[in-house]
Amino acid sequence: MYPDPKGYYGRYGGRFVPETLIPALQKIEKAYAEIQNDPAFSQELAYYMKNFVGRETPLYFAPSLSKMTGQARIFLKREDLNHTGSHKINNTMGQALLAKRMGKVRLIAETGAGQHGVATATAAAVLGLKCTVYMGSKDMARQSLNVFRMRVLGAEVKEVNKGSQTLKDATNEAFRDFIQSFEYSHMVIGSVVGPHPYPMIVRNFQSIIGKELRIQFQEREGRLPSHIVACVGGGSNAMGVFYPFLQDPVRLIGVEAGGIDIIDGQHCATLSEGSDGILHGAFSRLLQDSHGQILDTHSISAGLDYPGVGPEHACLREEKRVSYVHVSDKEAVDAFLKLSEMEGIIPALESAHAVAYALKIAGELDAKAALVINLSGRGDKDAEEVISYLGGENHGN
Amino acid sequence: MGIRDNLQGLKARNEMALIAFIMAALPDENLCLECIKALEQGGCDLLELGVPFTDPLADGETIERLHHRGIARGLNLSRGLEFAHKVSEVCHMPLIMFSYYNPIYKMGLDTFMQECKSAGIDGLIVPDLPLDEMQVFAGFDLESIPMVAPSSSDERLQMAAAMDPAFIYCVSVRGVTGVRSLPEHEIQAYLQRVKSFTTAPLELGFGISRPEQLQAFQGYADGVVVGSFFAQLIEEYEARPALLPGKLEQAAAGLKAAAKA
Repeated sequence: MYPDPKGYYGRYGGRFVPETLIPALQKIEKAYAEIQNDPAFSQELAYYMKNFVGRETPLYFAPSLSKMTGQARIFLKREDLNHTGSHKINNTMGQALLAKRMGKVRLIAETGAGQHGVATATAAAVLGLKCTVYMGSKDMARQSLNVFRMRVLGAEVKEVNKGSQTLKDATNEAFRDFIQSFEYSHMVIGSVVGPHPYPMIVRNFQSIIGKELRIQFQEREGRLPSHIVACVGGGSNAMGVFYPFLQDPVRLIGVEAGGIDIIDGQHCATLSEGSDGILHGAFSRLLQDSHGQILDTHSISAGLDYPGVGPEHACLREEKRVSYVHVSDKEAVDAFLKLSEMEGIIPALESAHAVAYALKIAGELDAKAALVINLSGRGDKDAEEVISYLGGENHGN
Repeated sequence: MGIRDNLQGLKARNEMALIAFIMAALPDENLCLECIKALEQGGCDLLELGVPFTDPLADGETIERLHHRGIARGLNLSRGLEFAHKVSEVCHMPLIMFSYYNPIYKMGLDTFMQECKSAGIDGLIVPDLPLDEMQVFAGFDLESIPMVAPSSSDERLQMAAAMDPAFIYCVSVRGVTGVRSLPEHEIQAYLQRVKSFTTAPLELGFGISRPEQLQAFQGYADGVVVGSFFAQLIEEYEARPALLPGKLEQAAAGLKAAAKA
C-alpha cells in the first residue's frame, strides 16, 4: 500500500520543500504515527465526527435522476450535510486535534472556495486554537459569504493579491507563514497535496467517506456499487471515497474542471491535460508551460481552480486504476440546476462537476448498474457565482 | 577559478566571502549587467544568479516581488541561462545558478547541466530540493550547494557534510529570504554546531544587510550571502539607473571592508 516510507505513490509524491521546513514535516510524521495507534485519539475524533460534524452522512437514492437517465440507479453520498457544508471538516477536525496533540496553538490554512478555510476556522474555534487563512483576492471576491463566515468564527483572513490571486498563490503564502512559524503553528493543508506526510494524512482522515459508503451500500443493496464518481481539484473528497474501494471491482471516476475550453489558462483539468512536475512540495501532474512555469487556470468553481493535483491521483491515473475525465463550466452549471430542481438538493459547483459526468454516462448503463456520486458540498456559497454566470448567458441571448 | 578555489583562497587570507544574490535580467538585461559589474567592483566574491519562477515559496516579500516581475517580463530558465552567458563574459566571479526545481526538471537534467557548463556556471542552489532529493545532481560536474537551518537536526547536518560540498549554505533565520534575523548569539551557537560536523566553508544567508553583522560572525561563518538588501537598493534606485551601479558598489564595498577586518 502507498505511500512508501519516503512518501512516494509509485513515481509520484515525495517531499520537495526547502530544507528549513523538513524538521516540521518530520515532527508531523512522527506525531501522526503515534496517534494512528492511539485509541484515545480515535475516540476523541469519533466523538467530534458524530456530535459536532453530524456524521455519519446519509447515502441517498436519487429517484428522479435515476428515472430520467434510464435503467441505472443513482445514489448520492451526502457530504453536503456535514457541519460547515462540505467534506473538508473531516480533515480539519483530524488535523486540528493532531495539532493540539503536538502542542501547537495556531492553525494556518490556504483556501480556494473558502470551504477548507471555513472548516479550519471552525475546528480552531471549537478546539480553542488561533487561525489564519490565506485566500486569493479573486476568490475573496467570488466567495464573500465564506470570507464572512471565517471572520465570524474568529479567524484572520489574509488576502493574497499576488500571481494568479487564487488558491495556488494562497498556498505559497500559507507555506511562507508555516516556514516561519512552525514552532507554534500547524499548517492544515486542505487537500491530498503537499509534501509527505500531508497527502497520506488527508487521505486517511477523508477515507471515512468511503468506509461509511461501503457499509451503507452493503447494508442496503447487499453488494458494492458498480461506479463511484467524484470531482477532483486537489482531490481530497475523491481520494476519501475511492481509497476504501481500490482493491474492489468498482469503477472509479474522477471528474476535473474543464472550464471554458481545453486551452491553456481556461481550464484546470490537471490529470487529463497536465504533465509531470513539482509544485507545493510534491512531484505530481501539473499544468505548466514548456519552461516549467506554472500556468494560470480557470474554473467556475473556485474549489477546483488549481493547477496541481494530489500525487496519489497521479499514481492511480498511471496505474489506470481510476479514470479521470473533465466537464465544462456549462455542464457543471446545468447539473447544478438539474440536481436542485429534480432532487431538492443544491450542490456545490465543485460537486456539480461529478453530477454532470454521472448524468452523461448513466444513460448508457444497464439495470444492474448502481452509481454513487460523492456529493462533496452544498451550493449555498455558489449562489452569486451562478447568478452572474446565468445573467451573463441570458445577456448574451 | 571555481567556487572551491575561490573560497579556499579567501580562507587562507583570513577574509570572509561576500556572496551576492541578484535576479537575472532585472530590471532589464543591461542594467542588471551593470549591477553585477558594480557588485564585483565593490568586492563581491561569488555571484548567485536567480531565475524567476511563478511560485517561489522559499522567498520572502522582496525577492518574491522580483520573481513575479520576471514572470511578467517573460523570463524563464532558458533565458536565465542565456543571461548567464553574458554575465560570464563581463565578470570573473564564480557563478551559482539559483532556480526552483520544476523548471530544471522540465528542461531535463542532462540538458540543464550541459547548458550550465556552456554558460560558465559553477554551482547550483535549488531552494525547494531538500538534502534527501539532492542526489539527482550527483554525477554531474557542477557543485550543488546544500542548505541547512537553525532547526536542522544533527542527522540533517551530517547528511549535508557527507555531500562534501564546496560550501554549506547556512540559513540564519527560521524562515524565508528577507532582512530579518535571529539573535546573534543563537546564530553563533548554530554555526558552531554546523562546524562540528564539517570542514566545508559555511556561508551564512537570509537577513544579512549590515557590516556589523559580518563582524559579529567572524570566526563562526566563512562568509555571507546578501540578497534582499541588494534587491531593495535596486528597487529604490532603478528609476535613476545612472546612480544605481554606484550605490550597489558602495554597499558591497562597505560589507567587504567588514569582511576583511
